[in-house]
Amino acid sequence: MLVTDLFRMSFHNLLLHKMRSLLTSLGVIFGVGSVIAMLGISEGAKRQALAQIEAMGIDKIIVYTQKPPVSGTSEGSANISMVETFGLTNVDLNHISRMDNVEAVTILRDARKKVNKGTTRLDVKLVSVTIDFLEESVSQMVQGRWFHPKDFESTLSVCVIGNAAKRRMFSLGERNVIGRNIYVEGAYFKIIGIAENFMGTQYSELGSPNDMIMIPKSTSDSLYGNYASITEGRQQRIQNVDHDVFMVKVRDTMHIDDTSKRISAYLTKIHRKVKDWGMLVPYDLLLQQEKTQNIFTIVMASIAGISLIVGGIGIMNIMLASVFERRKEIGTRRALGALKGDILGQFLIETVFLTTIGGFLGICVGLGISSLITFYTEMPTYCSLWSIMLSLLISSFVGIVFGTYPAWKAANQNVIEVLRSE
Amino acid sequence: MNSKNNSAVVRLDNIIKTYHLATLDVPVLKGVNMAVWPGEFVGIMGTSGSGKSTLLNILGLLDTPTDGKYQLDGQEVQSFSDSELAVIRNLKIGFIFQSFNLFPHLTVEQNIEVPMVYANMPKRERIQRARELGERVRLGHRLKHRPNELSGGECQRIAVARALGNRPSFLLADEPTGNLDEKTSNQVMEFFHELNRDAKMTIVMVTHNPALENTFHRVIHLRDGRVVDRNGDPIMGGHSSMENSFGGHN
Repeated sequence: MLVTDLFRMSFHNLLLHKMRSLLTSLGVIFGVGSVIAMLGISEGAKRQALAQIEAMGIDKIIVYTQKPPVSGTSEGSANISMVETFGLTNVDLNHISRMDNVEAVTILRDARKKVNKGTTRLDVKLVSVTIDFLEESVSQMVQGRWFHPKDFESTLSVCVIGNAAKRRMFSLGERNVIGRNIYVEGAYFKIIGIAENFMGTQYSELGSPNDMIMIPKSTSDSLYGNYASITEGRQQRIQNVDHDVFMVKVRDTMHIDDTSKRISAYLTKIHRKVKDWGMLVPYDLLLQQEKTQNIFTIVMASIAGISLIVGGIGIMNIMLASVFERRKEIGTRRALGALKGDILGQFLIETVFLTTIGGFLGICVGLGISSLITFYTEMPTYCSLWSIMLSLLISSFVGIVFGTYPAWKAANQNVIEVLRSE
Repeated sequence: MNSKNNSAVVRLDNIIKTYHLATLDVPVLKGVNMAVWPGEFVGIMGTSGSGKSTLLNILGLLDTPTDGKYQLDGQEVQSFSDSELAVIRNLKIGFIFQSFNLFPHLTVEQNIEVPMVYANMPKRERIQRARELGERVRLGHRLKHRPNELSGGECQRIAVARALGNRPSFLLADEPTGNLDEKTSNQVMEFFHELNRDAKMTIVMVTHNPALENTFHRVIHLRDGRVVDRNGDPIMGGHSSMENSFGGHN
């Protein structure tokens, strides 16, 4: 029998019972649909997480100041001095910048000032930056300009604000705020540009560049030095912090592990009294994320596998019934010269058609579900071509696995018996 | 005898068929000798239980004999494998069933095509031949219809057209008029005769309808698993009597 005839015949048979074919493949349709949707959700979440991690820079080690836990019991509290000194110091900066694999260190410092709009406190931080921060944080200017090297030689009160900070500080109508002054605890800063970070980067306690008012380090140093006075209720404290964040850029990502270990070892030794620092290696997070993702994928695959097995069993059931129902047709075909292989092929291809079409419909259902999820929950979903191809392949495979037994049964019907049956 | 031997379409030598049940062996055919010559219209008759159906299955290569020799067109086929048998069924035997066994979801034309599909005939050639055969059974105007839109007589003619698809050596008809009323039955029989007369088609028809007995060239009576003569006496294995049972009609 010619292969084209075999395909035509099987397809013809499915179209004979459209409703039944559809109902039969429902199991596979929803199995594949949920697989696609779940893969879409997990892939979307993965991509979002990866993008955030990558935005911090795969070639970076982020070292940051952490306010040490107050060991304050009643006896200790009396001894707490008015000045709290903690965090990353200039000595640390010098040491780290001189390490082997370190190419550059970008430094950030939170001025620890309250940014208000009227009497409301805004979640905006006044941060001193170095000139390379824009590039290293993968941010872009959306309006105005970034700092000029000259801005770092002077102590001009200029600032670049993040887009989100701008929206918080100004009303919607105020489109162009370049050149305007903002007031932060006794100082005015002239806005020279608006920057935006599209990657969702977060720098530990400093948050996203979008929520920052960035001022040149030189300006900050002259205005505030390394001191910050903090008023909490009636208590006033002075915090002495040199630096809040080191963005350590490494030369060779291959050895990022060694470098991070060395930094960690160094800091552990120097800051051995209190743990006032933290470290974050995006590259490690990436590996971690991938590991978690793999576990997630295995779990998903098992669930998907079960749903496909259920779908497959349903199909096998219907195909067995179909073989019984069509046994006279099978007998007649055999009498007219069909080989066992022809009958086997006919039923097998029918089943594979059924599951593959089911798989195709399932992909449509899955894509629909994913886009609905994205629409209603704003959770990102991503359906890769890879997952679609895999689903189609798996659904065909299900057809082969669960179609073989009914097809074998069809091919091995006793011709004499089935011809006599009515 | 030798020349006759070689030219027989079907030749059975001492065919024995025994069904092995759990505790006992049931002999159904106990040594059947028969031959069918080209152009013959042979009836196989016998009461139920005579082994008629079993003989039919063996003739149609749906079943293999326990012992004996079956020559089809001079080729010994009793020990062929399942797929070899399927190929021979396809190419050399035209099956006609009591209940027509047409495929209800296929058109008349597609029904006629089925055996040609299994013979790997290219589609164009197949359609061409199906149309010719449709014309030949005088149903050329019905080619696009489905079997359930046809009368019983028409269905059986379609079944004959289907059987002729691969130019078989002989037609094997199993009670082809069993499901038809007398009038239609006569028409179908007339049609078979026409086919036999005009196209020199060899036909073997199994029936238990005594009314048809006189329409065959020759009748092979079967009783209790043996070929018997008209009076019901067994024709034993002797040379002359074998000749008798193989006997040609001319």
